[in-house]
Amino acid sequence: MNEPTRDTAEPVFSVRELWKVFGPKADRVPSDETLASLDATELRERTGCTAAVRDVSFDVRRGEVFVVMGLSGSGKSTLVRCLTRLIEPTSGRISIDGEDVLSMDAGRLRELRRHRAAMVFQHFGLLPHRTVLDNVAYGLEIQGVARGERRERAAEFVAKVGLDGMEHRRPSQLSGGQQQRVGLARALAVDPEVLLFDEPFSALDPLIRRDMQEEVVRLHREEGRTMVFITHDLGEALKLGDRIALMRDGRVVQLGTPEEIVGAPADEYVRDFVRDVPREQVLTVRSAMRPALADERETGPALAPGATVHEAIEAVARTGENARVVEDGRCLGVVDRAGLLGVVAGIPATTGKAVA
Amino acid sequence: MTATVTPATPSSSTTTAAGSGVLRDLGRHRGRLIGAGAAVALVLGAVLLGGGSWPAALAVDLSGPLDRTSDWIIDNRDGHPLFLYFLGHVSNAVVVSVRAVYLVLLALGWAGVTAAAGLVAWRVAGVRLALTSVAAFAVCGVLGMWVPTMQTLALMAVAVAASVLVGGLLGLAAGLSDRMHRILRPVLDTMQVLPAFAYLLPVVLVFGIGVPAAVLATVVYAAPPMARLTALGLRGADAGVMEAAASLGATGRQRLLTARLPLARKELLLGVNQAIMMALGMAVIASVIGAGGLGDRVYQALGSVDVGAALAAGVPIVLLAVVLDRVTAAAGARIGAAPARRAGAGWAVALATTVVVAVAGRLSDRLAWPHSWTVDIAGPVNGAVDWMTAHLYSGVPLVGGTADWAARFTTWVLNPLRDGLQWLPWWMVLLAVGALALLIGTWRTAATAVLATAAIGVLGVWDPALDTLSQVLAAVAVTLLLGLALGVGAARSSRMGRALRPVLDVFQTMPQFVYLIPVVALFGVGRAPAVAAAVVYALPAVVRITAQGLSAVDPAALESARSLGATGRQQLFQVQLPLARPALLLAVNQGVVLVLAVVVIGGLVGGGALGYDAVFGLAQGDLATGLVAGAAIVCLGLMLDRVTQPTERRGLAGKGA
Repeated sequence: MNEPTRDTAEPVFSVRELWKVFGPKADRVPSDETLASLDATELRERTGCTAAVRDVSFDVRRGEVFVVMGLSGSGKSTLVRCLTRLIEPTSGRISIDGEDVLSMDAGRLRELRRHRAAMVFQHFGLLPHRTVLDNVAYGLEIQGVARGERRERAAEFVAKVGLDGMEHRRPSQLSGGQQQRVGLARALAVDPEVLLFDEPFSALDPLIRRDMQEEVVRLHREEGRTMVFITHDLGEALKLGDRIALMRDGRVVQLGTPEEIVGAPADEYVRDFVRDVPREQVLTVRSAMRPALADERETGPALAPGATVHEAIEAVARTGENARVVEDGRCLGVVDRAGLLGVVAGIPATTGKAVA
Repeated sequence: MTATVTPATPSSSTTTAAGSGVLRDLGRHRGRLIGAGAAVALVLGAVLLGGGSWPAALAVDLSGPLDRTSDWIIDNRDGHPLFLYFLGHVSNAVVVSVRAVYLVLLALGWAGVTAAAGLVAWRVAGVRLALTSVAAFAVCGVLGMWVPTMQTLALMAVAVAASVLVGGLLGLAAGLSDRMHRILRPVLDTMQVLPAFAYLLPVVLVFGIGVPAAVLATVVYAAPPMARLTALGLRGADAGVMEAAASLGATGRQRLLTARLPLARKELLLGVNQAIMMALGMAVIASVIGAGGLGDRVYQALGSVDVGAALAAGVPIVLLAVVLDRVTAAAGARIGAAPARRAGAGWAVALATTVVVAVAGRLSDRLAWPHSWTVDIAGPVNGAVDWMTAHLYSGVPLVGGTADWAARFTTWVLNPLRDGLQWLPWWMVLLAVGALALLIGTWRTAATAVLATAAIGVLGVWDPALDTLSQVLAAVAVTLLLGLALGVGAARSSRMGRALRPVLDVFQTMPQFVYLIPVVALFGVGRAPAVAAAVVYALPAVVRITAQGLSAVDPAALESARSLGATGRQQLFQVQLPLARPALLLAVNQGVVLVLAVVVIGGLVGGGALGYDAVFGLAQGDLATGLVAGAAIVCLGLMLDRVTQPTERRGLAGKGA
């Protein structure tokens, strides 16, 4: 899933030691060792401040979907607003393509918001007095694009999100899912380098939510645009994310691929969190693999190393043989029933290796 | 927080921390504490101060300085730079613009104006209101009131334009800056509760009697609602939309013009609607200071108790009010709906038709309303009034006559109330005001109320003010009795609610001045008619607030009461009324404020007291008397509002808890 070349490329967003503290004299909290180490209630009692984001560092790589996941109050929405300084961070460093965001002047910051990062909001944030078309064109209007041109471009994106024929409706005449499509089209229309999503589908019905998630997956596949996606829904995070940062009380408790989060939770909190995840659908066959014995290298169904355990189970059950994991014609290993069952049961895959 | 005003709640806070426990006990026994304090003060006052009216030693005679100020202004109006370079220009600009609008209306002719009104109503509000508008203007003509209607319309147009501009700018400032909001809000809130009459005297002092004074008084009266609603709309803009605009890189100016202002359109239009209605009300009252037009006709007719003539001028006022209100309200209600196709073409048709009609009227030399088309209703109406005077005023078997009722109300209610208030020692009145304000409001509202009352004494108009107060109290009592009964009825029976609604709608849009006409016809002149007019004026608001408060009660609470087998009566007294308490208190507050406004105007029909002093001061050019009365009216208004104002305390309680 992650090609190794991406790791070395320059990140789109680079966030280091980011703090956002709300409350009186918030500045002193990050710099003071003792205050910075207090937990939320103690900090509130001592200073009257609330730390929404605490000492957060991560990189968003070009072309990936970076999901920030956490329960409400974990600071994820504040974090994404800090990226374009819709909320001014208290301390830390943020850079976009190597350029320092926090030292930008008002004009430069507007340029960033106009052309480089566009946001999709949970409650859509559409202008109720404008038609769908004019809402989609709003970002271009702010940039000063002439009326005819911006409407032409907007119409293109209205069609792209599947709303053709509704250009002249008002937001109030649309369903929630359709309104969010408008929000998505508005963000896409300015052709941003990064798309920021702030819990965009939380307000939608489950069926509509699935449609919209598939829409995002499709857009990402077609355009390869970098996305930062905030959600409180673990299923959504696992479905969309190339990498997931799991937040709790303002801190990132684990950052990794869906497989790492589910397969190797960093602490009890994360373990608790992912307990009910259908592991076979997230984990790949690598986690159930054992070295192949000599006679196994040539027989049995072949699977790619990125295949899920779920797919392996299907193959093994259908053929009745152990499956081979093959990459570039080379056999990496074998998955057998014991290994697959181990993954589903949540017993560490070492048992499989122990047999070998 | 209800615990603080129901001292009967058992105390169970013995185990809580000492400091907060004491405070809470204080809060819980607030009513008892205030009572005890009042009792102590009562004894002390009786021993130390004795009885009697406001002591002369504590009064300040302002007539000398006020006369001198007035004389100075009159002497310097043509010479002093302040007048030459500022106020003179303001005055001239007002005169010129009113004149210009009036000339345009005349040039359009009656046909052109009627057509324009109908077509604008058609574009903004649909066919039904268009027909209503045309009919309304036609009636103005038929009643022989075309010229005064145009005069009133011209004055109003200028006043509304200025009010919307001034109010809009103030609202913009208050909507965008927190500091401006903090400064302006209490000022606007207070201006809202003062009787319209109080605004007349200061502008007359500066500008003299005439159109400029009338327009400026109207602007001062009509701009605050516009400012309040503008600020409200701008501050209430959906934060999500504003954030979305910011996230797209909008500049401050872009955010204001493309998001914040359009989001507030509903409030802005409501503000314009309010400004128009207030301006109409004031433009009519301002006839007392030379506004001319319809109000002047009513004023003159009431002066000679010519009910027929007053009605002929009053009907156009009511029609104007209804049409203006409905059309602007309809414009507000249409917001959010998809715009009609070819809206531009519709307006073009409207404009072209108006021009054609106006030109046609001009060519056929029919600019003025044809004399032969007018109907003189003054004669028949006066005949009817005479008949009523002869047959209904007194001696009707069993029920008595209307004049008998008025006389009895005056003898048995107003006189004892007035004499009782005036008999009360002055300090006891202050004490009562303070205690009452404390019970309902906060220390701050109580202090304002007591100071305002004391200021009335200092101004030396203690006795007339108490006379006015007695009328207000009587009118409020009747209003609340009727209003609560009707409100409860309307809330509990949907048929009654439906029947009442159109009546309330019309009554609420009529200017205060108009209410004086029917009561004079029914009850003659005196204090009782003034009270009756006040009751009729304040009733719709009280009924409406009560009904809305009761229907807004949480249906789940009512349902649970019903599920426990509560009778309708039990539901009303144990669930609906207690839960609607904030609305009921608001109804009382509104009732008091509205009643005062009309009781003061009642000075024009023999209500006497402060209202009469103000009218007398204006009519005789005795500004000292008028201004003192005006200031006392302001103080009385402040006191009555603060005594009945529960909202601030609720706000504070919310923060405290």
